[in-house]
Amino acid sequence: MKRNNYLSIAIVLLSLIRFNAIAQNASKNDLLLSVSYFNNNNQTQYLVAHTKCKIDGKFQLVPNVDVSFYITNDSAASNFLGKATTNEKGEATLLIPPAAKSEWIKSPKQNFEVVSKASNLYDETKANTPISKAKLKIETSDDKKITVTVLEQKDTAWTVVKGVDLKVAIKRLDGDLNVNETQTFTTDSTGTIAADFKRDSLPGDAQGNLTLIAKVEDNDNYGNLTVEKTVPWGNKFEYSTNYDRRTLFARRGHSPIWLELLAYSIIVAVWIILIYLIGQLRKIKRLGVQ
Amino acid sequence: MENSAIQKITEDLLPQKFGKQGKLWVGFLIVLCVIGFIAYCRQLSKGLVVTSMRDYVSWGIYISNFVFFVAISLVGSLITAVLRLTNAEWSTPLTRIAEIIAVSAITFASLIIIVDMGRPDRFYNLFIHGRLQSPIIWDVIVITTYFFISLLLLYFPLLPDLQILLRFKEKTNKRLYWLYSFLGSFWKNTPQQIKISRRAVNILSITIIPVAFSIHTVTSWLFATTYRPGWDSTNFGAYFISGAFLVGAGAVIVAMYIFRAHYNLEKYITYSHFDKMGKILVMLALLYLYFNVNEFLVPAFKMKKSEEEHLMGLFTGEFAPVFWFAICTAMIIPILILVSRKGRRPLPAFIAGLLVVVGSWFKRYLIVTPTLLHPFLPMHDVPESYKHYFPTWEEWAIAIGSLAGAMLIVTIFARIFPIIPIHETIIETEQHEKE
Repeated sequence: MKRNNYLSIAIVLLSLIRFNAIAQNASKNDLLLSVSYFNNNNQTQYLVAHTKCKIDGKFQLVPNVDVSFYITNDSAASNFLGKATTNEKGEATLLIPPAAKSEWIKSPKQNFEVVSKASNLYDETKANTPISKAKLKIETSDDKKITVTVLEQKDTAWTVVKGVDLKVAIKRLDGDLNVNETQTFTTDSTGTIAADFKRDSLPGDAQGNLTLIAKVEDNDNYGNLTVEKTVPWGNKFEYSTNYDRRTLFARRGHSPIWLELLAYSIIVAVWIILIYLIGQLRKIKRLGVQ
Repeated sequence: MENSAIQKITEDLLPQKFGKQGKLWVGFLIVLCVIGFIAYCRQLSKGLVVTSMRDYVSWGIYISNFVFFVAISLVGSLITAVLRLTNAEWSTPLTRIAEIIAVSAITFASLIIIVDMGRPDRFYNLFIHGRLQSPIIWDVIVITTYFFISLLLLYFPLLPDLQILLRFKEKTNKRLYWLYSFLGSFWKNTPQQIKISRRAVNILSITIIPVAFSIHTVTSWLFATTYRPGWDSTNFGAYFISGAFLVGAGAVIVAMYIFRAHYNLEKYITYSHFDKMGKILVMLALLYLYFNVNEFLVPAFKMKKSEEEHLMGLFTGEFAPVFWFAICTAMIIPILILVSRKGRRPLPAFIAGLLVVVGSWFKRYLIVTPTLLHPFLPMHDVPESYKHYFPTWEEWAIAIGSLAGAMLIVTIFARIFPIIPIHETIIETEQHEKE
């Protein structure tokens, strides 16, 4: 009888273990990993890894995934650039460190690889992006014309590139505003686009400066490139606040003048009458004492 | 006029000692005040948590009481100023009753505001940090001003009577005699003194009218300047003032009847006074009813979604019994009673006046509380106690104590000073005889 009991317990436990194992395997999702290259203002180069997975038929961003970045396709320790963890947007960012310079300058074309190691939830996943080194050049003229040139490194020289789509915009607080009605420009045979600035009366900084930005986004060959230039084409921004204005909703001592005049004149008039009457009372008293 | 007639008027109108009923009445009022004071001490030590006021209903019966007191105080300007300036001489016996009601009501209006504060020790901040743009500051200024005007309007006509009281040293005790001397020994009834006093009363009568209108208009603006269902009205100033005159007139009729019955003043407060005050009360009730129709019919016709719950709560919902009780007792029943000549006799007029006063108190409650329970944004994730309001015993005790306190001031005043002006009554009787 006792043996039977032990046997039953063992069967139940084993079945639970089996169930857990199945459950764990079933919960492993395919991690979708990608990597993008950015070259901002021809100064800062960095990589962004994106992680997502499909759950219940929908793509979900995956945070807290450790990602290792490598230069070239070989994920050998010598090519290791660094490590980062994805944030709540499923993005992990890594600035290309100065230590990678020797590898970086070897070739005008590079390849970057990202690797996320196997975990309880995901298998090991890899992704890479090949890029050709490129940069943007922005120039402006006094008549508010903007010229942007796309240059690609070939061997040691920079050559112009035809047929690259790019945007020219003004940097604003919540996003970029196109300089005119054209959304996207394409470089001509000289690798150049020309755009007219048509955003007059746009508020700039205290000196009236605006920041122009030209950008190539998600290009198959060059990744993401941007270049910025400050131009004095905006209106001077003058800081104004209601804090010191005399309004009905202002703080104490800042009520509108008309209200103060009205209120105080009524109060003073009524109280002058009252004080006069108290004076009359004293007069009555004096008359009685005499 | 014969000396004996003057003597008779004077003796009739001299303040009388409390009889058994008077002492019982004073004792009853003192007990109510003491209970109210104990409740207030509990509130002071434990905080406003002893009340039913929470996040939504932050103005309960204290503010209803405040509005009621401010309303009733307006009677001083109605009887003393309006009737005096229109040469309605019949109102002379009622002027002092009206003025002392005004002074006591405005005193307790100020006190009840302090009671409503969780931290009364911080009251001074209102003066230090008050903003001129805020209707609350206007209310503080105008209440203070109205209090002083009412006090002066009570005091100036009292001076000749104080001189009369000083002549009856044998009928008064030492302390009262000292008080009369302190307040009026300098009054010698000289032509110059009479002239100055009359001019002062005339100036006060003119001054008190705009101040009285201001006091209740500003009180109405405490609500109307806030965007909430039931308060968002441009009609509120006139609505409040008409209601204030109504309750004030009702209170005067009640006081007239009680003083007449207990001090045997039938010769001075006559049927004619009840008849005239009854007519005034009917007119004021009709006026207030008209404003009520405006105040409720127009929003009900539109029935904006945001106001629907509030209005239906009043018409057929949670507050319907109180709402219809207030409408009937403060306006409809008094109109029905007083519209006939028989209804303007002392007892029916007294009943009508009492109904007006009681109904008006509940009307103030309805102005304050239901609106606070119907905010524009729905109440979410709040304790159940936030969604309803019924005053705790402390609130009732304090509110009733304050009403008792106001009545106590009137009662004590009538014990110390003549409740009907003696000097003015003699002068007017003399004039009538000459005519």
